[in-house]
Amino acid sequence: MFDRDPEGVRIELRALTKHYPGQPAPAVDNVNLVIPAGELVVFVGPSGCGKTTTMKMINRLVEPTSGEIRIGGQDVLSLHPDELRRHIGYAIQQVGLFPHQTVGQNIALVPKLLGWPADRIAARVEELLALVHLDPAMFRDRYPRQLSGGQQQRVGVARALAADPPVMLMDEPFGATDPITREHLQNEFVKLQKQLRKTIIFVTHDFEEAIKLGDRIAVLKDRSHIAQYDTPANILANPADDYVAGFIGQDATLKRLALLRVADVPQEEARPGRELPRIAADATLREALDLMVAHGTDRCGTPSGVLTYATLCAAVGSSAVAREEVVAGDR
Amino acid sequence: MTFSEYVVSRWDTLSLAAVEHALVVALAIAIATAVGVGVGLLTYERPKARGASLTVSAGILTIPSLALLTLLIPITGLGWGSTLIALTAYAFLPIIRNTVTGLSGVDAATVEAGRGMGMGAVRLLLRLRLPLAWPLILTGVRISAQMLIGIAAIAAYVDGPGLGSQIFEGLSRLGSVNSLNATLAGTLGIVIIAVLFDAFFSAVRHLTTPRGLRVRP
Repeated sequence: MFDRDPEGVRIELRALTKHYPGQPAPAVDNVNLVIPAGELVVFVGPSGCGKTTTMKMINRLVEPTSGEIRIGGQDVLSLHPDELRRHIGYAIQQVGLFPHQTVGQNIALVPKLLGWPADRIAARVEELLALVHLDPAMFRDRYPRQLSGGQQQRVGVARALAADPPVMLMDEPFGATDPITREHLQNEFVKLQKQLRKTIIFVTHDFEEAIKLGDRIAVLKDRSHIAQYDTPANILANPADDYVAGFIGQDATLKRLALLRVADVPQEEARPGRELPRIAADATLREALDLMVAHGTDRCGTPSGVLTYATLCAAVGSSAVAREEVVAGDR
Repeated sequence: MTFSEYVVSRWDTLSLAAVEHALVVALAIAIATAVGVGVGLLTYERPKARGASLTVSAGILTIPSLALLTLLIPITGLGWGSTLIALTAYAFLPIIRNTVTGLSGVDAATVEAGRGMGMGAVRLLLRLRLPLAWPLILTGVRISAQMLIGIAAIAAYVDGPGLGSQIFEGLSRLGSVNSLNATLAGTLGIVIIAVLFDAFFSAVRHLTTPRGLRVRP
């Protein structure tokens, strides 16, 4: 349906506006945004800012009042809405699995609408259940009521992926689970997206989630006005205004450290003698800092050498003066 | 004559009356279900039409059955016609109400997920809303049937079919030899029919409710 280049499809929103009749101001006002192919863009903003409305205009669950939406160059408003939606994955917070159908039937929904042959659908259901870490033999014939919240959300993601759509719209798909399950699902999803490289619009009000998942973040304020649209690292380093800074919170630097891995930064050569706390190469710098503070030291051992407090400071662009003080204090 | 002797001696009359009683109720329920579910389907998303259909069907239910049957005599005469029309009219409220409640009570997020995956309005209705609303619709039909089995006894007043004639006979010949037996036979027959209907609907409910709605977490 959409012209896919090897990286997927890109989404363009031009002057997109939704004005509900009888409302004094538009709910979404003149949004212009380009979502590059294969990237995950997070819409983050407070509730009522219009982020969900903006997302729902892309699969036309909400019809735009004016403006233009292009997916892979194709004008979305010229397509039949049902046909369009069958080619866009859709996952929501409440999941909305069909309670009278099995997990397998739920996942098979869109492929069936698209008229796939039965054996291809069956194979796809198996593949997807395995992809979201649910044993197909065990879960295919269960009903949604027999699943935990986290399992339902996995099935919801599998269902959205079923027909291998190039574009996915996700509205807080992990929102209804407990913090531990949510973190688990987020980590799995990051890995999944690295393989799949879909063009994804992900809506959340949780800035931590946005940093964790997003290739880019669009920080939205009232009426879906874009306060800032950039990579998580750039937003944390240079918030565009007080609104964005307020959204980030007081610990922007710690959040930036959490975006970087030990393996990403230069390391000093290990010297024999002093026993150092050890940290893994794929741990974040925030975890490394935590370890240093916990051990009252300014360095820790990594598989390839030694990571110092000064390197952490340099990684987030702060001066080395801090280092001298801390090192002095350490002794 | 004891009650059992009475039943044995009048078995032909009684069994025919019982079959007719069940038949007229079944017919009325079938018609009311077809029309009532249809009305529910057409009105559940339109608040004004929904309100109107519920008000009218509730209004019908407030007309005393004796009055309604009497009013029907000039139009449809004595017997089956008037009985069937009156019973059908009484059956509407529970059926329409439960259909509307069931269809609009389907979880909004589930419907949105269906729309978001590209299911059109007709598919959403037939594949999602109707199966999920079905147990409630069936309950409406079941309540209507129980109600009609009782009301159908009054149909004897307009020379309608059913066990009501036994009760009226007992009433009109109060104090005579078999008056008590006749009333008792009619009443007992109606109770048995009611139990059989309920067993039938219980079986239908079990067989037609989607398994996913019956399983326990």
